[in-house]
Amino acid sequence: MLTIKGLHASIDGKEILKGIDLTVKAGEVHAIMGPNGSGKSTLSSVLAGRETFEVTAGEVEYNGVKLLELDAEERARMGLFLGFQYPVEIPGVSNVNFMKTAINEKRKYMNLPPLTAAEFLKLMREKMAVVEMDSSFSSRGVNVGFSGGEKKRNEIFQMAMLEPTLAILDETDSGLDIDALRIVASGVNKLKRPDNAFIVITHYQRLLDYIVPDIVHVLYDGRIIKTAGKELALEVEERGYDWLINA
Amino acid sequence: METKFKYTPEIPEVFRCRVPLPGTSQAFLLNGVLTEEYRDGAGVVVLSEGEMGFRIAVPAGSSSNDSTQIITVRDNKDTSPITFSNSISLGANSSSNFLLCTHTLTLDEFITESEINISAEEGSNCQIVVMQNEHNFSSHKIKFNIVQKRDSFVRINLVTLHGAKIENIIDAKLTEPGALCELNGIYLADGKQQINTTINMNHLVPHCNSRQLFKGILDNEARASFSGKIVVSKDAQKTEAYQSNHNLLLSRQAKVYAQPQLEIYADDVKCSHGATSGRLDENALFYMRSRGIGAAEAKLLQQIAFVYDVLEKINNEQLRNRLQEMVESRLRGEFSHCANCSMNCC
Ligand SMILES: Nc1ncnc2c1ncn2[C@@H]1O[C@H](COP(=O)(O)OP(=O)(O)OP(=O)(O)O)[C@@H](O)[C@H]1O
Ligand SMILES: [Mg+2]
Repeated sequence: MLTIKGLHASIDGKEILKGIDLTVKAGEVHAIMGPNGSGKSTLSSVLAGRETFEVTAGEVEYNGVKLLELDAEERARMGLFLGFQYPVEIPGVSNVNFMKTAINEKRKYMNLPPLTAAEFLKLMREKMAVVEMDSSFSSRGVNVGFSGGEKKRNEIFQMAMLEPTLAILDETDSGLDIDALRIVASGVNKLKRPDNAFIVITHYQRLLDYIVPDIVHVLYDGRIIKTAGKELALEVEERGYDWLINA
Repeated sequence: METKFKYTPEIPEVFRCRVPLPGTSQAFLLNGVLTEEYRDGAGVVVLSEGEMGFRIAVPAGSSSNDSTQIITVRDNKDTSPITFSNSISLGANSSSNFLLCTHTLTLDEFITESEINISAEEGSNCQIVVMQNEHNFSSHKIKFNIVQKRDSFVRINLVTLHGAKIENIIDAKLTEPGALCELNGIYLADGKQQINTTINMNHLVPHCNSRQLFKGILDNEARASFSGKIVVSKDAQKTEAYQSNHNLLLSRQAKVYAQPQLEIYADDVKCSHGATSGRLDENALFYMRSRGIGAAEAKLLQQIAFVYDVLEKINNEQLRNRLQEMVESRLRGEFSHCANCSMNCC
């Protein structure tokens, strides 16, 4: 589904990603861990199409297309989803309007007619239930005044609405209380299918108790320095990163 | 100017076919001259008294949810500069709604200057929406002179959509306690358009309130200025006066000059003003695009969101919805592609 080869990216001339290789197959859940500032969010931003980062080398293939040649919106319409570490507040744009526009732009791309108001509301209600989000959030401005945890739930809600093929969740677990963590994780698990895949970025083994990864990577200083099975997360939790960095 | 675009039908019919809002009656001012005098069920009269401009009287104690729409139109029957004066007298304890629209029907270089004198008697309540949508050759200057008495409420919502040079000057005098004056405005300009707003809010006595919220979106080489002055005289204790002006600049060449001024001579008052100018929020744009919303649509959503709270101040929901649609189509750039942009009337 996703093949990253020798990906280098920089911002303002400063190299952040220094050669990333990563392959994700349909049906898999990958976890990426790594110390602060190692480049995890940069990698997700580059994959999602943020133009502030300059890709200086490497290529990314996503379901048979060259991902880096596409605009952010095209990537999203093709099923790529990024759950933001810091979801953005958009005052004046209601959650409903935001999602309606997003869903219908995607449908237009897929040559489908826009959803009727009734269909949309039904879908919205259904997906809000998945993350146990109160319906009062739908009329509020996107993320405006949402608590940290509510913002993260809103990311999962949006993911549920858009049913992505590849979802990258950047620290969706940070700032969540234990109940919210369970809700978010079960939301992800409900969406898991043999034909989609997840990349879960996290600092904590805790999340991976709920969303069990097939493969765990450790990113450090712009490179993946270790790839192993789910036991790697436990080991990192216990021993930290030093033993990997100094290896 | 070579080919001038002309509209054949008689003006009033053209506009009537735009379907007035339910509960709204229309009167027309053609090149400054009232085409027909008007009187409605609540006793509101619109007269010319043999001069240019309109004279509106709202009888004391009358109350109506209906709205009177005055459509000021310029066309090629008179292309000379015109200056005229209008008045709106709000009787004591009356309540009334007005929609004032200004348009140009031909692409002549119109120069229009008008004055609207508004006197609000004790306890009167008046909502005035002003919609300005003129061609790119039209300069229009309107000066509002508002005098408010005890416990009166005047709210003006300006929606400036199009025009070469639009100047709005509002001078408000709160002359008796309990008066509340609320001024809101949206101005949208692109190309080489210019929109200037000047406000003089005068608190002359204690216990009066004023609120101002103005927002502008400027593209290309458009220019806007906002100079807003709040004067609180020495006796005007317990005044509350707020003003904010925010601008969104879509291009590097667009410029806004904001000049807020507070002159406070009383000591027990609450006053504030704030002016900002900024650009589209790149983080929000990327967030929207990452959900599949195209870049153009994402920019538009952000612009609509920017002016949303000003439009919210329009209390008539149907009118607000229509204006919201017009603002949206204006921001989509549909007006400039369309020769008869000024036919968009409320
Ligand atoms: N816009 C930017 N301008 C300059 N430097 C940046 C920018 N964005 C990221 N960086 C730098 O790139 C490096 C990697 O940042 P990134 O956010 O990808 O780390 P991270 O692994 O996600 O960290 P965390 O675990 O704290 O979220 C950091 O040193 C950061 O300061
Ligand atoms: Mg990060």
